[in-house]
Amino acid sequence: MSNSSRQRSITRRIFRGMALFPVITLAVYGIIAVIMPDKALLAIKSSVNIFFNMLIPLSMIFVLMLLINLFVKPARVAKFLGKGSGIKGIALSAAAGIISTGPIYAWYPLLKDLREKGAGDSSIAIFLYNRAVKPFLLPVMVAYFGWLYVVILTILTVLASVAIGYSVGIFMKAEQA
Amino acid sequence: MKIAISADSSNLGAKVAHRFGASEYLLIIDVDSGYFEAVPNPANIRQHGAGVQAIVLAVGKGAKAVLTGYCNPAIANQLGANGIEVLTGITGTARDAVEQYKEGRLERLSSRQAQLRSATAIGDKAVLIHAVRSAARQFVTLLPVLIGVVLLIGLFDMFVSEEMLTSIFSGNVALDTLWGACFGSIFAGNPINSYVIGGELLKYGVSLFAVTAFIVTWVTVGLVQMPAEIAAFGKRFALLRNGLSFALAIPVTILTVVILSLVERWIS
Repeated sequence: MSNSSRQRSITRRIFRGMALFPVITLAVYGIIAVIMPDKALLAIKSSVNIFFNMLIPLSMIFVLMLLINLFVKPARVAKFLGKGSGIKGIALSAAAGIISTGPIYAWYPLLKDLREKGAGDSSIAIFLYNRAVKPFLLPVMVAYFGWLYVVILTILTVLASVAIGYSVGIFMKAEQA
Repeated sequence: MKIAISADSSNLGAKVAHRFGASEYLLIIDVDSGYFEAVPNPANIRQHGAGVQAIVLAVGKGAKAVLTGYCNPAIANQLGANGIEVLTGITGTARDAVEQYKEGRLERLSSRQAQLRSATAIGDKAVLIHAVRSAARQFVTLLPVLIGVVLLIGLFDMFVSEEMLTSIFSGNVALDTLWGACFGSIFAGNPINSYVIGGELLKYGVSLFAVTAFIVTWVTVGLVQMPAEIAAFGKRFALLRNGLSFALAIPVTILTVVILSLVERWIS
């Protein structure tokens, strides 16, 4: 099986797993609707309300995803990982984490592979931490918390990732010694 | 100046092969001296990625132009990006192709150029379609959990009161941060869900400390994902990474909120 079709089948499996969650939630709604229909109606109304408020940020997310796909090719970010040394290596691992998309489960096999091929523990840790920074999700984050908060938290997250990568690297080396 | 020709055998009498990247040989010819070198295609011609290896070869040998029957747009783009001119629609023997190239006849053939241009345009369109498809796929995989979260918040609105929340998040900075970090550490999910949950919690009067700790640990620490992480990187790495990320979430949270309030005060 080629890499891309394997990736697709993993994505499909994860998607099915994730789809369980809203289905179960809807089942809970069903039960509540039987016991207290008025409350279920109010609950669904407030859900719909939240969803409507998110429509604009969500559509902006789609546009940003499209632009990122056009210009940075997320599927190829793995190439950056573990390349280069010193500050360049850190920056490349962080950038790979930031641009990476898709659920974390889809990334474990690839990361494991890269680690076996010599990508350092620090690089993997930096990559995983920077998955918290997602440029295409900014519209939703800004809508809820404002620009200032987003900028401060993003900068601190990237700095923290470096600290995590550095410490994980040191502790892992200490064990091998 | 060197050019590369896709060919079906290793001499100048060879026929120009139809597909660049899938030919038996690549002839590297110095058009000034006439010296040539036949390099067998490093990849099995049916193998995935054969095109990439041919690009690497052409670039590595210092070719300034590629002469071939057909070249797929993605490979043509890559060659172009490396400063290599791509001339397609070439037939006949390698020797004839070299002569035509030297006399500049290949460039004068406008139909070839048009073909080349249309190949690039098709390439751009294909890239766009591909990008739209991946964006749609990424967006759709985002939706199930997000919809589930929004539905849950609806229930939450109905059945959880502010009093219940303040019994957990009392407003004590240290405790709020700790509790937020604990809740965020259960799953390692898509950050968008933590924004929505966190944003709604804020409306309930939960402190920004708790919400920030929740957002920070949502992606970086995941108890549910721990077995998969252990399987991929080993127990020590997984425990160390998650443990350190949890510990660091506390100072990151406090710094974020403190800096935010300082900057806001300074602005106003």
